[in-house]
Amino acid sequence: MNRREFLKKSLALAVGTSALLLPGKTGRALGAVVSGPADLAAVRGGEPEEMFDRGIAAMGGMKRFVSKGQTVVVKPNMAWDVRPELGANTNPALVERIVRRCIEAGASKVYVFDHTCDLWKRSYITSGIEEAARRAGATVVPADQVRYYQKAPIAGARILKETLVHELVLQSDVFINVPVLKNHGGAGLTISMKNLMGIVWDRGEFHSRGLHQCIADLSLLRKPDLNVVDAYRVMTKSGPRGTSERDITIRKAQVLSTDIVAADAAAAKIFGTEPNSVEYIRQGEALKAGTMDLNRLKVERIAL
Amino acid sequence: MKKLRLRPLLVWTFLSGFAALFLLRDAGGSGLLGFGAKIQVFPALLRWEITILLFAGMTLLAGRFFCSLLCPLGLFQEAVHGLGKRRMAGYRRGTSLRYWILAATVISMAAGTLGLLHLLDPFANFGRGVTQILRPTIVAINNLLASIPLPGGTSRFLHALPSAPLAPPVAAAAGFFLAALAAWSVLRGRPYCDGLCPVGTFLGLFSSHSVLKIRFDESSCSNCGRCEVACPTACLSALERKIDHDRCVLCLSCIEACPGSALRLGVLPGKEGLQRRTFIKAAAGLGTALGLAFIRRNAKPLGASGTAEATDPPISPPGSRSHENFSRKCIACSACVKACPAGIIRPALMAWGASGLFQPRLDYDFGYCQFECNSCTTVCPTGAIEPLSLKAKQRVQIGRAQFHRNACIVVKNGTACGACAEHCPTQAAHMVPYRDGLTIPKVDPSVCIGCGACHFACPASPKAMTVRGLPTHGTAKSVTAPGDGPVLDPLEEFPF
Repeated sequence: MNRREFLKKSLALAVGTSALLLPGKTGRALGAVVSGPADLAAVRGGEPEEMFDRGIAAMGGMKRFVSKGQTVVVKPNMAWDVRPELGANTNPALVERIVRRCIEAGASKVYVFDHTCDLWKRSYITSGIEEAARRAGATVVPADQVRYYQKAPIAGARILKETLVHELVLQSDVFINVPVLKNHGGAGLTISMKNLMGIVWDRGEFHSRGLHQCIADLSLLRKPDLNVVDAYRVMTKSGPRGTSERDITIRKAQVLSTDIVAADAAAAKIFGTEPNSVEYIRQGEALKAGTMDLNRLKVERIAL
Repeated sequence: MKKLRLRPLLVWTFLSGFAALFLLRDAGGSGLLGFGAKIQVFPALLRWEITILLFAGMTLLAGRFFCSLLCPLGLFQEAVHGLGKRRMAGYRRGTSLRYWILAATVISMAAGTLGLLHLLDPFANFGRGVTQILRPTIVAINNLLASIPLPGGTSRFLHALPSAPLAPPVAAAAGFFLAALAAWSVLRGRPYCDGLCPVGTFLGLFSSHSVLKIRFDESSCSNCGRCEVACPTACLSALERKIDHDRCVLCLSCIEACPGSALRLGVLPGKEGLQRRTFIKAAAGLGTALGLAFIRRNAKPLGASGTAEATDPPISPPGSRSHENFSRKCIACSACVKACPAGIIRPALMAWGASGLFQPRLDYDFGYCQFECNSCTTVCPTGAIEPLSLKAKQRVQIGRAQFHRNACIVVKNGTACGACAEHCPTQAAHMVPYRDGLTIPKVDPSVCIGCGACHFACPASPKAMTVRGLPTHGTAKSVTAPGDGPVLDPLEEFPF
């Protein structure tokens, strides 16, 4: 436990303890369950923004993750020049709410970017995320050129021992990963771990050297402090780009977790897939990037 | 000094406008700049043959004002000349070379090739100059500035631009042309308009006896000769008191230079103006032009259909309908090259054969045709690329994906991939079960539009997905239906 972690945990504990003194409802709203913050919060039945607010409260509140003056990177999936209804990108309203909560928690700067597949500027605009994030006070930055990336070693990786990573991921204090849950032609599913392919420069390398192992390796680079899986609009086929609204199922769910493997395991189950059948999730656990055994975690289930 | 001092300002303003046409992504459609592109002589002629009458009529009335006001290459020469001493060596008789050039252009066009026009058309030359020389220069300067970090590390003053779609041999040719012309223009005014340009020579057939022209008023001329050294086309002889009106572009430099008022722009009285000869010459020009238009309408372009079948056919932009239509109308001006946000439309040296010199094609090594974009179809001044609505464009098949199984990562390495299917906007490339739980791509040609997303995304080397251009574009089956909507199935219980 380093100093930052210690401070965070004591803060969380303090919030938790003080919440004990408040009447039950208020206490929960403040984000503390009697026995401390959850490792994973699953929320269903609401709009993305309110599900996030409830989920993050269960996780110990935004202040558990963001302290005054810290810089934050929020990494949504906005890889595609596709409008929000088609579910190829993270829900813009969710990104907006997360950015807003970061700033309320005292973040000095909140960056939003993605290394897109389609043209970056068009994807930023069409996804609705650039505008939404800006509205909440984020700085939306490009990631389309190699000059924004720095070579970084990945300790414990099997294949991907180093790769070019966006400088902001390496430099910022807090890293929040905000994927959207989708079917994926190549990887089976794309959730939190796969979403990290948007922080590296060379994706082709992943495909040519072994997609699943590289995805698992990358999750060791910089573990997101928080993963928020958008499972409101779920693309159940033709992923990850999708072709029409036929490919979408409205699931109205969300998963929040500090554990990237657990987040993917829970989201896979919501999708209807056994996490075990997704190779990179298995390999992620094997690398100790996290656990897919949700029974070993403190899980909070919230229905709205 | 009240006379015409606004001319340089006007020249630079118009020149900047034309440069902007080839620099601003969205310019060239319905706006003012797009209008500037559509009124160019050969583009207009190729788009709608009858406009030839309009140009002929305008020139018959008002001379070659087109060359000094509306031709970007003419403006370029004048601007460059203005940077020098602005002194000419005096009157030169027009050479007959220009007529041979015009004749060769016309004959080659009638024979079904625009190759010579690609080399000579002033608008096309200007367009290539801007897209291949000016734009890369601007990008380079911008990116140099953008590499300077601001204090604080991560934020930068400027965003780095993606590299301009440069085709080195074409850039070299365009650079050489512009540099030579610039050097020549500093000394010799408008050498291109005066001696080489097929557009200028064509308009000259009508301007020699136009109604509006510059003429001498002998009584107030003091024989100072300033007008002669000022004339950038060297078509004015002070000694002989004459102006070769077939070469005069009405830039009005002579009037500006005249210390008195011996030169005037005006409407000539009928007798002096419209003569029988004028009509004969004009009729000859017009006849040639209309004949040319007629022949071109029915001629098959050289090389576009015959040779292409055998080898790898190039890919023409959506809206060009067929390689034949594209080759028949494209003047290689690079308007589409500029409009493409993905930078994949690139001028090619020989991809279309010798008769398609500099003609652009889609190159998926640099990116892919964006599904949500129809920019190139909105800017073509000649109609080589016809306008398409986004919906229509999304179904136009410009090529067909080819899957090379043995080159595929899944087969070669036995690991998962799917990058092609991931990028495919119509799921023409989709993953089907392979072995050991792996999936492998399969192409459904009925929905493949040939956008090249699969080619670009394929991480294999050599590529396991390539796209073959379709000589005649097709229409893909729609992947969406009117009633398409999401399935409503909210999560009712947590599965863990």
